[in-house]
Amino acid sequence: MSWRWFHQWGSPRWFYERAGRWQWVSGWIALILLVVGTLWGLGFAPVDYQQGHSYRIIYLHVPVAFLAQAMYAAMAVCAVVLFVWKMKLADVGIQALAVVGLAFTVLSLVSGAIWGKPTWGTYWVWDARLTSMLILAFLYMGIIGLRAAIADPDQAGKACAILVLVGVVNLPIIKYSVEWWNTLHQPASLKLTEKPAMPASMWVPLLVNIVGYYAAAFYLVFASMRALVLERERRASWVKEVVGRA
Amino acid sequence: MQNKPSAFEFQGLTCERDDRLLFKNLSRVLEPGALLRVAGPNGAGKTTLLRILSGLYEADSGTITMAGDPVSESRHRILYLGHKPQVARDLSVFDNLQFLTGLGFDPLQSALKAVGLQHYHDSLVRELSQGQGRRCALARLWCSDASLWILDEPYTALDVHMVQVLDQRINAHVSQGGICIFTTHQPPHDLSFDTLELGRVH
Amino acid sequence: MSIERRLIAREIRLLLSRPGDVVKPMWFLMLVISMVPMALAPDSDLLSEIGSAMIWVATLLALLLNTDHLFRDDFNDGVLEQWLFFDRPLAWLVALKLVTHWLFYVVPLILITPVAGLMLSITGNVLGALLVTLMVATPALTCFTALGAALTLGSSRSGMLGVLVMMPLFVPVVILAAGVLIRATDGSEVLPLLALLGAFSVASACLVPLAVAAALRLNIGGSS
Repeated sequence: MSWRWFHQWGSPRWFYERAGRWQWVSGWIALILLVVGTLWGLGFAPVDYQQGHSYRIIYLHVPVAFLAQAMYAAMAVCAVVLFVWKMKLADVGIQALAVVGLAFTVLSLVSGAIWGKPTWGTYWVWDARLTSMLILAFLYMGIIGLRAAIADPDQAGKACAILVLVGVVNLPIIKYSVEWWNTLHQPASLKLTEKPAMPASMWVPLLVNIVGYYAAAFYLVFASMRALVLERERRASWVKEVVGRA
Repeated sequence: MQNKPSAFEFQGLTCERDDRLLFKNLSRVLEPGALLRVAGPNGAGKTTLLRILSGLYEADSGTITMAGDPVSESRHRILYLGHKPQVARDLSVFDNLQFLTGLGFDPLQSALKAVGLQHYHDSLVRELSQGQGRRCALARLWCSDASLWILDEPYTALDVHMVQVLDQRINAHVSQGGICIFTTHQPPHDLSFDTLELGRVH
Repeated sequence: MSIERRLIAREIRLLLSRPGDVVKPMWFLMLVISMVPMALAPDSDLLSEIGSAMIWVATLLALLLNTDHLFRDDFNDGVLEQWLFFDRPLAWLVALKLVTHWLFYVVPLILITPVAGLMLSITGNVLGALLVTLMVATPALTCFTALGAALTLGSSRSGMLGVLVMMPLFVPVVILAAGVLIRATDGSEVLPLLALLGAFSVASACLVPLAVAAALRLNIGGSS
């Protein structure tokens, strides 16, 4: 039974129609959760006694930073699937995830910089987390650039998958080396003092927003995957049928 | 010097490229001594088929075996000559052939003599004319122990005399139990071969 | 003659036919290093403080100059596809090629870095540490640049893309090497860090050729 389910993923039409539903569901979940979480976080959560109102950017920054890394992990899973099962949909997945992942990475860098100004007095510091996020952005750009440079889509997909796998092996090493480098060069004084526990009135809206941004990521990935499937299968008869209907 | 003759077989080869079906369910068994011409109009997938048969490119489905083993395990028994020169421009004729074949001066010199390049073994490939460059690549046919030859347009840029010489060499190879698969736009007169027509899939 | 010896002999012949490829990175390195005092100040204290880092980065950039040529000519001439018909794994042949490349292109470049070091008032054990870190780190860097070159073979106008794609992966190497240099300046223990750097280099040299081979096979398949 699991085999049949698995093979359906190889059919672009099945995916296109099914993902349309998932896209719709995740879009609504995202909208509701993000409205609730953001209003709650920005309007009703208590003020931080050290940072004042500026801490509220965590309701954006923390979820997108999570997602920036999760998207890369998802790409790595797609790359493995592409090599082991030669499933073209996995390649579409890599293509969609790279762009969405880069967007989240840039968003987390920008929101981090905005947060840094009131907290550290400067937009950019060579903090370990900021630095590894910057490297992650470069890795995403490399994957997008490599795909854009190779004309043959199959070849571009496999080349990107190789790059993703090499990157995913290296990411932990990069992360640890950057952390070590940071302690080598900088006193810990710039780091935010870790509070023992956030009150529930602060972290519950954060949790709502994290789930909300995950749902939003699903929405974006499904939407761009569906568009890419249509583009790649543009010569197939079912695409003409679907596009004609719309 | 020749490897033991063995059959070459492909079953159910299907290949789609850029959303276009090039061929579907192509099967053939080639016994030792077989000579097969792959024919078809431009863009029918002749080169792609030859590259698939030599293991350079993967078909979407189908199997290719040599003496019962997958072709990927017996690639060193294949001699493939493609469109590209197959020799480095900045190296001499002799150095190029020595790298590809691992043979010493005498066998290489006699191979070069067969293609009329015996006085050029010291020349850099970039100093040769197009036809001479082609002959340099073809010289490998006179010093290879591969049992399967896959030749993509071997007659391109050759003069009349060289075409005859090549025909004789291919005949000698198949009469010793070798197999040769080739493409050409001008069917050679001196060879008797089977033909595999491509470009009939719609 | 074994395939291995033929391959190495061929690489050396190709190198002798283009000696400029060895000289150009050195030339580049010396030019970049001459720019540093001009852009900064001819102050030897200041220069010796940042000098080793400057040389490291300049050497890294100089290394990248040759990498697009690593497979490009053999790919265009169709020699690379003949590699697949040798009775050896492609990754093994790639590894051999990279070793030769490292020995004949990279090591000469490293050997002139002491001259650059003297120009930036770097002396003593820092100069030694510079030389050693470059020797230990460059195998990993060579592997990654080769992967960048192999991945971008399929696009005709990609001289720079391979470099852009691979540079982020240099981060651990640069950080570890910088750590060694800092410790050498302080006079503290460098061996543990150097061992870590060496381990990374060895691991890269063992694993990356597999990825390079996969990328080459992919591009050989796609071209006709």
